Amino acid sequence: MENTRRAQRTWRALAVAGTAAAALALTSCSAPGSGSGAKDAAAPQSASTDVGSDPVTLTLYDGAGLKTVDDALIAAFTKQHPNVKIETRYDPDNVQAVNAPRVLASDDPPDIARIVALSDIVKSGLLTDLSPWASAYGWSDLPSGQLAQYTVDSNGVRGSGTQYTLASGFTVTGLYYSTTLLEKLGIDHAPTTTSELEADLATAKAHNITPIMAGNQTGGVMTSLQFLMNDAMGRDAVNGWVFDEPDATVANPQAEAAATTIQGWAKDGYFNADTNGTDGTGALGRFAKGEALFYASGNWDAAALQKQMGSDVGFVLPPRSADGKTLAMSDPVSNFGIPAKSEHKDAAAAFLNFLTTPEARQILVDNGFAPTGSGTQPTTNGELSAQVQAAFADLVKADGQVQYVQNASNGASATWNAQVQLLVAGKTTPAAMMKAVQAQYVQDLGR
Amino acid sequence: MTTVGPVPAAQPVGRVAGTRPQGASTPAPRRRRRQRGWVVGWLFALPALLFYAVFVLRPLVSAVQYSFYDWNGIDLARFVGMANYTKVLTDPQLLSSIWHAFFLIIFFTVLPVVGGLLMAALIRELRSKGFGTLARTVLFLPQIIPGAAAAIAWVWMYSTDGTVNQVLSAIGLDGVTRAWLGDFTWALPAVGLIGTWINLGFCTILLLSGIGKIDGTIYEAARLDGAGFLQTFRAVTVPGLKQEIGVCVTMSVISALASFDIVFMSTQGGPGYSTMVPGVLVYQLGFTQSQVGLASALALLLTLLILLVVLPLQRAFRSED
Repeated sequence: MENTRRAQRTWRALAVAGTAAAALALTSCSAPGSGSGAKDAAAPQSASTDVGSDPVTLTLYDGAGLKTVDDALIAAFTKQHPNVKIETRYDPDNVQAVNAPRVLASDDPPDIARIVALSDIVKSGLLTDLSPWASAYGWSDLPSGQLAQYTVDSNGVRGSGTQYTLASGFTVTGLYYSTTLLEKLGIDHAPTTTSELEADLATAKAHNITPIMAGNQTGGVMTSLQFLMNDAMGRDAVNGWVFDEPDATVANPQAEAAATTIQGWAKDGYFNADTNGTDGTGALGRFAKGEALFYASGNWDAAALQKQMGSDVGFVLPPRSADGKTLAMSDPVSNFGIPAKSEHKDAAAAFLNFLTTPEARQILVDNGFAPTGSGTQPTTNGELSAQVQAAFADLVKADGQVQYVQNASNGASATWNAQVQLLVAGKTTPAAMMKAVQAQYVQDLGR
Repeated sequence: MTTVGPVPAAQPVGRVAGTRPQGASTPAPRRRRRQRGWVVGWLFALPALLFYAVFVLRPLVSAVQYSFYDWNGIDLARFVGMANYTKVLTDPQLLSSIWHAFFLIIFFTVLPVVGGLLMAALIRELRSKGFGTLARTVLFLPQIIPGAAAAIAWVWMYSTDGTVNQVLSAIGLDGVTRAWLGDFTWALPAVGLIGTWINLGFCTILLLSGIGKIDGTIYEAARLDGAGFLQTFRAVTVPGLKQEIGVCVTMSVISALASFDIVFMSTQGGPGYSTMVPGVLVYQLGFTQSQVGLASALALLLTLLILLVVLPLQRAFRSED
């Protein structure tokens, strides 16, 4: 009996070992990853602006939050080209950003896809070089601040070189203010310079009104910090950092000065005291209820604020220093590229070109975003929406679109958020903060 | 770990062989028949084994392989030897996340097991059927709610004007109210308390069913000897529940060390890095930072760490059986 049991145990052990060995055999022992097999497909092919009349079915892959605007764009485009059918595929916004490279590399790639990590995806050879269509459609005439967001050079640096994407529209950031509180505090206009802003903050604080509402649990203070960084470092230095230019850094005196100002504001109580325990949604709700004078954010909050606050809310571009330029974070809503493996590139390119037409521009504005390209300003509904669109038009005219520093590298967003939480709590110094962010950035880029 | 796939399926086959009348056949055919039975047993187990191999063993082996590479999940990987492991073991941020996981054991294990024991003993002592059922239902509810949903509910309760601060203000403790999840000192205990809330029900129910198995006459004897609640608790209930306590401790220690959903949904590791745990870091590294190799190394070390903690615990709670 004892013997059989031991034998059974041995067999069991052998069976487990055998299964493990089988599992090992299932896993190929070569290095993981596909290499860059798609590279050849990325080379430009013949381009045509003719969509033809044969039925074509395209797949569009985007973040789920953009479904409404995408559906409207698709409906308008397919009305012009009845032979084209566009199917859609959505993932939650952040998941889409993370999954895009894998989906593009799969055997069943989409034909139009939102690209967030543009440089990495181009490096992996997963996108189509759009140059032939760019010259056929004349995309080089688009505003240079917008073109910079579509291009990558041969070293993987963004901002110039070959065009790979075209945006459906743009976001725009600035300062929302409560007109009621502004009036109550006897301030006659929204701040346009940093010194005016600081005076307003002090006035609000003196009257026991929260100067800036920020949800820093989700990194809300970053918006204010980057306003100051843009002003101190300048557009090209910030964009260069986000676009992975060699030797670009945020560990510099200008960025540190911006962080010092923010830390001072936090110490003076210019942000809500519980900012580290408040998330973005919570902060928006409290600003809408009239709990604070300012709320630094972007166009995506305009619809909700207009609905809740009516005429009690206004929007201005970020205040600038006396000799500063008009700058604000503004990047693509969906930076659409055509996957290298797509089989219907002409039709996909026709959709991208459609994004620059007045009809598509109007759709973007109707959905609360800023439009691609330039030209006559689409009509707006509502006072706040008009202010946001006017601000964006000013920004494009001043060529002041700056990228979000959180998008600089894969690990940048998590690091900025954690560091800005430490900053407002006084648990790090501005210099240590910028050093930590720069270290993560360098590691992410594998420098 | 010993009850891997084949065992349950193999047992009935053995039992069938055992019911055959002894000595009814000559040894040779019997061995052959038994061998055939053995093969049939494995055939029954095969589908389960295949799933186990493809969905458990293969990913595990892949993770081991990835952990030796620098890989972004797409391009060709680069072999880096032990570099990922060295980084995990030297990076202060990664190490502090492991320390946080151990700190959470206080809230995920110690409090629920102690509380569960007391609750179970109390419910038994009161012997009121209605109260028992009510208490069981209320305590077990958190176990049914997904951790992610529970975390969101707790985020609201912990917010500046949430329930927790309202209660504190109502009893005159205005001075201590704060945004609990945004406080560098209190965020980790606050997150831990969510775990206590979830695990308490599980432990109570398990221990209560264990108490039901303790011979009622022992309790009666203790009562006749004049033992009070605490004495009975110490001398009868706790020793009688050794195995159940073992299960509670094991499960909850694993849930503390491998915690992900609660932390991810409530703080994402913030403020700063004060509530960062290995589970969330593995996700961040692997999925948002595309450092698949480093994420795999951390995940494997976490698995190893959990085994190192749990195996001695298992032995300790089993030793006298």
